[in-house]
Amino acid sequence: MCNLRTPLFLLLLSPALSAQDSVLAKLQRRADSLAGEWRRANAVADLADSLEHERAVTGRDTIAVGALRIVANPSPLPLREAGVRAWPVIDSFYGRAAQDLAQRAYIIRAFDPDTTVPRARLHVGMEVPWNMTEESLVLLLISNVPVAPPDAALQEWLGGPVRPSVNASQDRVGVYVQLVTAPSQAARSCFQGRLDSCALALGLATAPTLEAWYPSAAERRSLVITAFTDYFDHGATVAAYHSCTAGSDSACTGLLRSLPKGTLPRPLGADARVTLVHLALRLGGREAYHRLLAGRDAPIGARLASAAGVSQDSLLARWREEVIAARPSAVALPPWAFLFALGWVAIFAGCGLRSSRWRVG
Amino acid sequence: MSNAIETKNLRYRPGKGFELADLNLRVPAGSVYGFLGPNGSGKTTTIRLALGLLRPDAGHIAVLGEPMPEHAPVVLGRIGYVPEQPHLDPTLTVRELLRFQAAFYRTWDAPHAEQLLRQFALDERRLFGRLSKGQKAKLMILLALAQRGELLVLDEPTDGLDPVVRRDILAALLEYVSQRGATVFISSHLVHELERICDWVAVLDDGRLVTESPMEQLKNGIKRLRVARPPADVGAAPFALLARESSPGNGGVETWVVRGWDQEMAAYFGSVGAALEDVIDLDLEDSFVELLRTFRSSSR
Amino acid sequence: MYHVILYSQWKWSRLIVLLGTIAGFALPIISLQGAAAADRNPLAAQELLRAVQSWGTLYPVLATTLGLLVAIATWAPDHRGRHIHALSLPLPRWRYVLLRFAAGVTVLAGPIVAVLLGAVLATALATIPPGLQGYPLALALRFALALLVAYAVFFAVSAGTTRTAGIILGVIAAVIVVQIVAGVANVELDLWGKLALVILNWPGPLAVFTGRWMLVDV
Repeated sequence: MCNLRTPLFLLLLSPALSAQDSVLAKLQRRADSLAGEWRRANAVADLADSLEHERAVTGRDTIAVGALRIVANPSPLPLREAGVRAWPVIDSFYGRAAQDLAQRAYIIRAFDPDTTVPRARLHVGMEVPWNMTEESLVLLLISNVPVAPPDAALQEWLGGPVRPSVNASQDRVGVYVQLVTAPSQAARSCFQGRLDSCALALGLATAPTLEAWYPSAAERRSLVITAFTDYFDHGATVAAYHSCTAGSDSACTGLLRSLPKGTLPRPLGADARVTLVHLALRLGGREAYHRLLAGRDAPIGARLASAAGVSQDSLLARWREEVIAARPSAVALPPWAFLFALGWVAIFAGCGLRSSRWRVG
Repeated sequence: MSNAIETKNLRYRPGKGFELADLNLRVPAGSVYGFLGPNGSGKTTTIRLALGLLRPDAGHIAVLGEPMPEHAPVVLGRIGYVPEQPHLDPTLTVRELLRFQAAFYRTWDAPHAEQLLRQFALDERRLFGRLSKGQKAKLMILLALAQRGELLVLDEPTDGLDPVVRRDILAALLEYVSQRGATVFISSHLVHELERICDWVAVLDDGRLVTESPMEQLKNGIKRLRVARPPADVGAAPFALLARESSPGNGGVETWVVRGWDQEMAAYFGSVGAALEDVIDLDLEDSFVELLRTFRSSSR
Repeated sequence: MYHVILYSQWKWSRLIVLLGTIAGFALPIISLQGAAAADRNPLAAQELLRAVQSWGTLYPVLATTLGLLVAIATWAPDHRGRHIHALSLPLPRWRYVLLRFAAGVTVLAGPIVAVLLGAVLATALATIPPGLQGYPLALALRFALALLVAYAVFFAVSAGTTRTAGIILGVIAAVIVVQIVAGVANVELDLWGKLALVILNWPGPLAVFTGRWMLVDV
């Protein structure tokens, strides 16, 4: 009897098992179909992009300056002159990697700003009005270098591609203000000289977490109030929000953990990380950019150190030094301003003295 | 220094329609000099030019021997000035205005100022803006007198005031003149008032000087004459004929207004076949009116 | 002479100066009071700077208002009397104007000292986060300069004749007309912008009003 149980069990189970198999098979076939659709859509999109690219460059002039290639329709824009000025900046920033730009042209469509003739929509490249000055064009070329996008990890950390800055000193001023004013103990400790806090604030720690970036309850509460009032103060989170503002750390932590992945603000903004990358490239010489892209599996901190050719701590120390040195000028007026202001007081008082009412005749 | 104020060929034109032309004034030192003229004749303008508040277009001005307006800051310290309109800060009290004024004048006589304050019965705590017209006038006179200046310049000081106030002011002026021997230059169109106190008088009309002479000479020198069988042509009369008019149905008798009359001149009428029937004295007001009438008709 | 002119100046403008002094003393304290109280989160530096910046816009407004009102008060009684009294005083005219100017500057010392005291008190009582600093003296000095410049400008305008005021208004009107005509004729001409650039940036006369009026800053 016992011997019959298993086969009987299997016989009774076989319809269910065969039914389960067919469901799985259906699901598998559906997934395969969807994957295929996605690949076909991608291919169509790639084709459309390349067609757009062809359409954008066909019948256009190509201006070559160094390794820069600028494809543009004939216009009064001083593109060559702007390219001549932009190329040294771009070359010194990317080093040898700048030569790769020969394969990645700027696509510029110059248009007459005073015309009302409708233009076809541009899907690739930039539209630039004819009356843009050379100065503005140079800044445009520098800030929109068509460099190949970096790997996903670096792009996610940096918030975009690696591009030169148009005003590096001003960027450092902004970072200084962030170090002082950001509601983060990590930023504050970095300002006060702790390099490990700088690494934390810049998101170089291996496993960035809420507790790592905002270790104290006060910071978490401050973050919720300053950055997320509009987001949390309605709907299902309103009770937790009020609880957080009243002082409940568990409420604050819960709210912050509920944010979608990648939306928790880092202690320091993107421009702080950009200044760090720029410093690494500046220190590392002409191969720095290649080295930065090469180690894509390594942690960001290690990659930056490799690009700079120094240790991570040295890089962070140097970065902090430059930011501290970029402290904005104090609100106090310089001595010459006093002289000018008092001079104007004397001039206007003199105007009062010299009024015709007070002069005889 | 014989003249407290002296102008030579003074010319000033503030705008269209009015001009001070070739004004020659001589205000003898120590005199009470009346400056007569109808409204708009240029009396206030002349005073402002003399005090250096305005610069003339041409001519010379000397006040207390100093050229004006060049030496105005120095000269004004020796002059007490009462303008036509109240010019003091209405937000200061009487006492505060006394203190203010005293700070600018080295010759300020504080006891005299207190005495005048009592004499004029002014409340020292009252704001200037809250004083009546008469009280304001008294205060301005007080400030001018307390400065103990050598020259008092008063621009229509009693205009619009009641007789009691006018009397008080004039009494204070006369007392000041008798004590100090200062020169008083007083402008007015109230002829009868000036007649009582002035020993010199000048008449201004439309920016031009009509006459300037001692008061007695002006008053006594202008007469109204009734002349029978008047000659058609006056000829070389020893007096100045200001006006002549005949009354119809009066039997050929004319009324003449003459200037510079002297009793001995009656003989002239006999020499021209006319007869002098009557000599009528004119008061200053009548003289003033006749002078103006003559001046205006000759100007046309 | 100066003391009587100062007395009269004080009498004319004491209410304005008193109110200005109170406002000048209170402004720094109010600007920091909420944002930098001891029990506040010391990490709220951004909030503190925002509060200080927004209150800071009131300093140039206070300086301009005080300068204008005191300058008007300086000349209003003389204007009412058509300046006869002033012109008949026994001192050079330039000296009289200078005495008036100096008296106005003297009474304005009150609000300036009030701003300094208020700023010092406010920064002493406030909890300023690390990295930020208080600038009470710098703020008071800037306020003093702005107040003096405003007073001098309005003093000069008030001391002038009607003709002078007419000329000034005429110039402003001419600039406006030229700007309008240029706009109609489609000519690119930004007179106001250029004028503002010259006036509001150093070494322009009103440059002291622009910039950062921050009692607390980095």
